Amino acid sequence: MLLKTCCGATNEPPASTAAGPDSLSARVDRTLADEVFAKRTDVKLAPTTGDEAFLRRATLDLVGELPTPSEITLFALDPSPDKRARLVDRLLADPRYGRNWARYWRDVIMYRRVEDRALIAARPLEQYLADQFNRNVGWDNVARDLIEAKGNVAEEGPTALLLAQGVDPNDVASETSRIFLGIQIQCAQCHDHPTDRWKREQFHEFAAFFPRVGIRQIFQNGQTRGFEIVSTDNAPLYRGAGGQGRGAREHYMPDLKNPTAQGKLMTPVFFATGQRLKTGVTDDERRGQLGDWLTARGDGWFAKALVNRLWSELVGEAFCEPVDDLGPERACSAPHTLDLLAKEFAAHGYDLKWLLRTITATAAYQRESRPRRLPDQVPFAANCAQRLRSDQVYDNLLAVVGSMSGQANVGSGGPLERLTAAPRARFGLLFGYDPSVPRNEVSGSIPQALALMNSPALAAAINGTKRELPLGKLLASTTDDEQAIVDLYLRTLAREPTDKELTVAKDYVHSVSSRAEAFEDLLWALINQTEFLLRN
Amino acid sequence: MDLHIERRLHLATDRHGVVGRRDFLHGLSAAAVAGGSLGWTDLLSTRAADLRRQGMACILLWMPGGPSQFETLDPKPGHDNGGETKAIDTAVSGIRIADNLPKLATMMKQVALLRSLSTKEGNHQRASYLMHTSNVPLASLHHPTMGSVVTKQVRQSDCELPAFVRIGNAFANTSNGGFLGTEYDAFAVVDPSRPPENVAIGTSPERFERRLAIVGKLEQAAGKVTERERDHDKLYANAARMIRSPQMKAYDLAQESDQMRSRYGKTAFGNACLLARRLVEAGVTFVEAALPNWDTHQDNFDRHRSLCGQLDQPYAALLGDLYERGLLERTLVVWMGEFGRTPRINPRGGRDHYPKAFSAALAGAGIRGGQVVGATDASGEEVKDRPYTEKDLFQTIYKCLKVDATREYISPIGRPIKVVDGGQAIQPLLG
Repeated sequence: MLLKTCCGATNEPPASTAAGPDSLSARVDRTLADEVFAKRTDVKLAPTTGDEAFLRRATLDLVGELPTPSEITLFALDPSPDKRARLVDRLLADPRYGRNWARYWRDVIMYRRVEDRALIAARPLEQYLADQFNRNVGWDNVARDLIEAKGNVAEEGPTALLLAQGVDPNDVASETSRIFLGIQIQCAQCHDHPTDRWKREQFHEFAAFFPRVGIRQIFQNGQTRGFEIVSTDNAPLYRGAGGQGRGAREHYMPDLKNPTAQGKLMTPVFFATGQRLKTGVTDDERRGQLGDWLTARGDGWFAKALVNRLWSELVGEAFCEPVDDLGPERACSAPHTLDLLAKEFAAHGYDLKWLLRTITATAAYQRESRPRRLPDQVPFAANCAQRLRSDQVYDNLLAVVGSMSGQANVGSGGPLERLTAAPRARFGLLFGYDPSVPRNEVSGSIPQALALMNSPALAAAINGTKRELPLGKLLASTTDDEQAIVDLYLRTLAREPTDKELTVAKDYVHSVSSRAEAFEDLLWALINQTEFLLRN
Repeated sequence: MDLHIERRLHLATDRHGVVGRRDFLHGLSAAAVAGGSLGWTDLLSTRAADLRRQGMACILLWMPGGPSQFETLDPKPGHDNGGETKAIDTAVSGIRIADNLPKLATMMKQVALLRSLSTKEGNHQRASYLMHTSNVPLASLHHPTMGSVVTKQVRQSDCELPAFVRIGNAFANTSNGGFLGTEYDAFAVVDPSRPPENVAIGTSPERFERRLAIVGKLEQAAGKVTERERDHDKLYANAARMIRSPQMKAYDLAQESDQMRSRYGKTAFGNACLLARRLVEAGVTFVEAALPNWDTHQDNFDRHRSLCGQLDQPYAALLGDLYERGLLERTLVVWMGEFGRTPRINPRGGRDHYPKAFSAALAGAGIRGGQVVGATDASGEEVKDRPYTEKDLFQTIYKCLKVDATREYISPIGRPIKVVDGGQAIQPLLG
């Protein structure tokens, strides 16, 4: 198969972060101040966050894990004025950066799957994306790969988006628009969009880019060996009404009054620009052309959708919420700021690392965090604390307690059961959430609390007597309780305890006769605190 | 009985389950309370609707893969399409089912057979989702599954156990809490013969309490107890309440006599059905138990004999046991898969997917047992008279469970979504 990225340009990191991004970051802050803060009399901006909190925040945001105790110490001791920017550069060069964001986008795609067999492609997708992000391939090239994907779904990661929608042209069109453009065009599938200008016809013209995407079993030596995404340029013109349109040559808009009839033949037209193809053209031409039109610099949706998402992940609140519903007729809390960032992002060749550098250097990003604001309060006056994603919690736990082997066996099952049986995947079933859902709607659950309190694997790893485990090693390395408590805080919450916390913890250790037992309880308590699941 | 009602009153419910008695009184006319004009019976009738609802429960026996109606509830012994499966008499004269299910046949007075189900989804993934949500899957919206909708509307407030439980691990594509949120997700029990995961505290109870206390003290000392910390604390309090609850005994099958365990059969599905009964008895609202592998594209007849062998005894025991305990009046037992199988037998002795005409079985909670609703023609290819869709079935199930199917929930992008969008309750089943 052809992947554009093999010949796509990679964006080299600039030699210095001093000039470009800094000045743009400052302009972003000024624009935000002009259009949001200047109009209100009740603005109480949170102060710039301290180094310790910045380090934890940036490390979680960019590489998905906590900083280590030595990283915390070194960062605190570093006197240089540009150490935050240099930290961001270092984190963006870390291979964990690509993996962290690959998992984010894997979740964006997989949480909307209509078929669980799409999980086959989850791992290849993650590997593909991690590689693109680490090489800093432009976001436009990634989008094109996903739209144009073909081949064995167990090997070609980009096929995941199509597979997740069972290659149904309507569903693929909906997701392509939602993910890459932030437009919920699917509301117009059955009727004209109730709140936006999109017409039903426009939805089906867009779906007409995808009727020739097919899925078929791979046969080898008379046995089936998985699935592949193919072009069905020789398929029948029409495959019947309803959800049965997969693998046809053309897309038809159903007649709502007569749902079993063939409906109306649709010409592929890109609703955002009006650019069109003729019916009868090949699958390669349809998807290839759409990839070019969708990622072109003109209309701005493509850049805005990405900027809105990344801003939301980093600053804690999107310009437009939910992150995948930009309109056009939606309330946006800072439209000029969004426009400015989107325009520059496109001008920089959709360079993701550039965008992350720019946002992390803004005052908006670097403010102290507060709980989510009430609707009538000023947006962006503080960074907003976010729930960590499942992979982040899992990796933080691993770092704190060492390994978590000995997970209960879920027994034998089909390939699907095996895919979801790995410890990380099972953890994801409990702690995962759809990253496109507004964060105030993501709530904790009883099974989560039970897992953190009682999971036998975790309980076995919280052991103060075994020297091969992190806690046992720590207790063996020092007899100074205060030092051990500080170390536990650094490892689990990536910060030093406050004086009060230190006092409570020391009193606790003295109240329990066994030192190992006391520290096991403290570690358990830190893991079971609200803060452990949050990025502040 | 009085004590029971008093306890219920004491625990008036809100959407999360429980609010104080004070909040409940608060909702009544202050003047009526102050004037003393509101008597005990008024209090009772105010809550009567809720009380009626709160007793309802549902056990869904889910048959992933799609069982053959010919080899289970709608045999056609006189026709080529019927294959080698014979029909046997049941406890209700005139109703005959496949010879693979002799024990179920004895329970026919309690069971209503629906032989005219018809949907448009012949793909496992899409059909599994359809038969759990009454909707086709959409990328833009995850509909809540049946158990989530039911527990959102009718969970029992005095039950300290999770209200929606899934037993086994064969629930691919069956959805979950969806846009209602994770708090309506199913509580998963992978192996019914063991306690659920992570409910056993790994330490002494005293140490566990000590640990919970130190979490609170440290959070206080950190000096930032906001709404979020309070929610977290509430969650932990609920989780701790659950694992300390005496009701957790419901998960322990060893509490049953050997005779009872043998009645259900000491098999995976037997244990699942017995656990389902114990949970419903303890106040759990919705239990789903799966028996997989019905996708018999080859060796249809041998495999159905074996599968029905795993199904028949536990299913019949569950119905009988619920009936004897008086629980069947308030417990709906539904048996179904995502679709039926083709009338024509393929060259490999198998049957393929067939959503056009297939069967399901319902019992309890207002279902009039001992009858067959709907019929297929002699070949089994077409539904005679009126086909019933998945939406009609959902309307029926929700009506039995006193779930308001006309209610609308709001999706994350602000779209109102009906609990069931269309269809009508199948009146003959309700009798």
